[in-house]
Amino acid sequence: MSSSMRTPATAGAAWGDEGEVEVAGGTALEPRHEFTVAAGEWQNLPDAVDDDLMVINMGPQHPSTHGVLRMVLTLDGEQVVDNSPVIGYLHTGIEKNLEFRPWVHGVTFVTRMDYLSPLANELGYCLAVEKLLGITDEVPERASAIRVALNELQRIASHMVWLATSGLELGSTTAMIFGFRERETIIDILEYVTGLRMNHAYIRPGGLSQDVPDDFADRTRKVVAELRNKVDEFEILLSRNPIWLERNTGVGILTAEQCYDLGITGPMLRAAGVAHDLRKAQPHSGYEQYDFDVPIAQSADAYGRYLVRIAEMRESLKIVTQVLDTLPSGPVMVADAKIAWPAQLALGPDGLGNAKSYVSKIMGQSMEALIHHFKLVTEGFVVPPGQVYVPVESPRGELGYHVTSDGTNKPYRVHVRDPSFIAIGSLPVLTHGLLIADVIAAVASVDPVMGGVDR
Amino acid sequence: MPDAVDTSGLDIQLSEQLRALRDHLVEAFPLLEVLGFRGELTLLVTQGDLVELVRFCRDDSDVSCEYLMDLSAVHWPGGEFSDQTHETTGWPTATSQREGRIEVDYLLYSVTHNHRFRIRVDTPDDAPSLPSVSHLYTCANFMERETYDFFGVSFVGHPNLQRIHMPDGWEGHPQRKDYPLGGVEVQYKGATIPPPDERKY
Repeated sequence: MSSSMRTPATAGAAWGDEGEVEVAGGTALEPRHEFTVAAGEWQNLPDAVDDDLMVINMGPQHPSTHGVLRMVLTLDGEQVVDNSPVIGYLHTGIEKNLEFRPWVHGVTFVTRMDYLSPLANELGYCLAVEKLLGITDEVPERASAIRVALNELQRIASHMVWLATSGLELGSTTAMIFGFRERETIIDILEYVTGLRMNHAYIRPGGLSQDVPDDFADRTRKVVAELRNKVDEFEILLSRNPIWLERNTGVGILTAEQCYDLGITGPMLRAAGVAHDLRKAQPHSGYEQYDFDVPIAQSADAYGRYLVRIAEMRESLKIVTQVLDTLPSGPVMVADAKIAWPAQLALGPDGLGNAKSYVSKIMGQSMEALIHHFKLVTEGFVVPPGQVYVPVESPRGELGYHVTSDGTNKPYRVHVRDPSFIAIGSLPVLTHGLLIADVIAAVASVDPVMGGVDR
Repeated sequence: MPDAVDTSGLDIQLSEQLRALRDHLVEAFPLLEVLGFRGELTLLVTQGDLVELVRFCRDDSDVSCEYLMDLSAVHWPGGEFSDQTHETTGWPTATSQREGRIEVDYLLYSVTHNHRFRIRVDTPDDAPSLPSVSHLYTCANFMERETYDFFGVSFVGHPNLQRIHMPDGWEGHPQRKDYPLGGVEVQYKGATIPPPDERKY
């Protein structure tokens, strides 16, 4: 390959200069061949023939790439000259699937995208559907408060997994064990509330699928008190750890301007000194009632992102405590019977199902109630035509739901602006000039979730 | 402001901040069509003005959109369509003809002014093509590749417009409404379940 490959990739110039490049042997090769999922493309690749550049595949089966991310690294010695990420290994067509199911069913799909923060996905989708329906203000306060509490717990759980995995990738097994252990305490609460550890489908358009158990607040308070100490434990373990500092400081720098250009939001932007948080800038679900700070760092490197995420966990704990203290009573679903799921769930002798009193009512007393139930459950509700974009602040940044309705009982088109997908697009800039070992630290600091990237 | 854009109902939908922004943009680009829905501002722009408008939104100090937040598309196939597709009464519904088009949406966001709006541009669905904005926002590189992959919109000027989610040799663009879905064979007396878009539930 020619020496033009050595041109540094900057944020402004996209990584893809045009023009044919002659290589030894006379085979013409496109200068920036985009490697894809297809096999066999490596047979024609002359490697390190007339220069020292070497092309190396990192992933998709690599323990430090957070799932099935593949990076095609062009290396000069051990220095990364170029990095082109290849994605699509986990593409499951969730956006397409949504178009053939009633609106309510969509929740069970979107919750499987970013599997480390399923509740953020559910929240974004449901807020979008509610906005299309025009019932944003009718969602009960209690439902919104519980949504906030669970989402903040989710944020801590997600950051814990991030700490665990990036700790492991940088050689700290203790951080891995600690991170997954603390995350499990949160997952226990989520399981207690929703019935599932992950992929809850708990938040529904119009409210929640069911109310929280009676001792939700007590249990959560215990976990929150415990987590405060655990976050301190992480700080003691890592913040001044010489290896942790050495591996993270100055690695993967993205300045605020670069973040803007690359579409990077969330902790990565805040680590570059911009105190931008959608929970403050454009609050939803009553975030404006709660008192919390937006932590920032100035270093714009992997260590700054670590500091921001640690501080964010403390802020999330603050929010959860405030929600528990001020948890309003009342219903958890909109009053409109044409939207609200007709049945409340209850625990029966054979597990969770429709409440027995409700079943005897529709089966024995009211034909109209039965018809209503049947229509709403099989067809779902109709959403007026239109298009909305609703963003929420997920643990990884702005998670946007761009939802189009054509006035039927199914979404016409749902597009998800997943922060991980955008972050993968920034990898060529982020990893340029790093050593291979630093690529791992830099990618870890991005915290990509491939389920969200590929959807 | 021009009366043409000031349809009744639109002003109720938009906040004061977005109304001022709309007036500012319409002043600079008089050909813009403006929509308001659920408090969101949408600007309909022609293909020719697209790049200039995006550049203006990025560089003008009153708009200063640092972010291109989202770039996606919606496919509206051509043909005869009933205006209300979901009907249960059995009465005939009015139908209308429309041209097949793919509408591409650019979501812009300004951290400085904390406003968010959408630029929408239409392109015919038989040969969809738009100018690329990846030289203005680097993140558009991946977003345009995604839109190309799913809708077949070719972005002129994109540095490497290749598939991103689907395998390299894939045929067709899956998010288009005319993309065949295929039925699922059921092993029972030769019966088949129809493709999802033809199912009745």
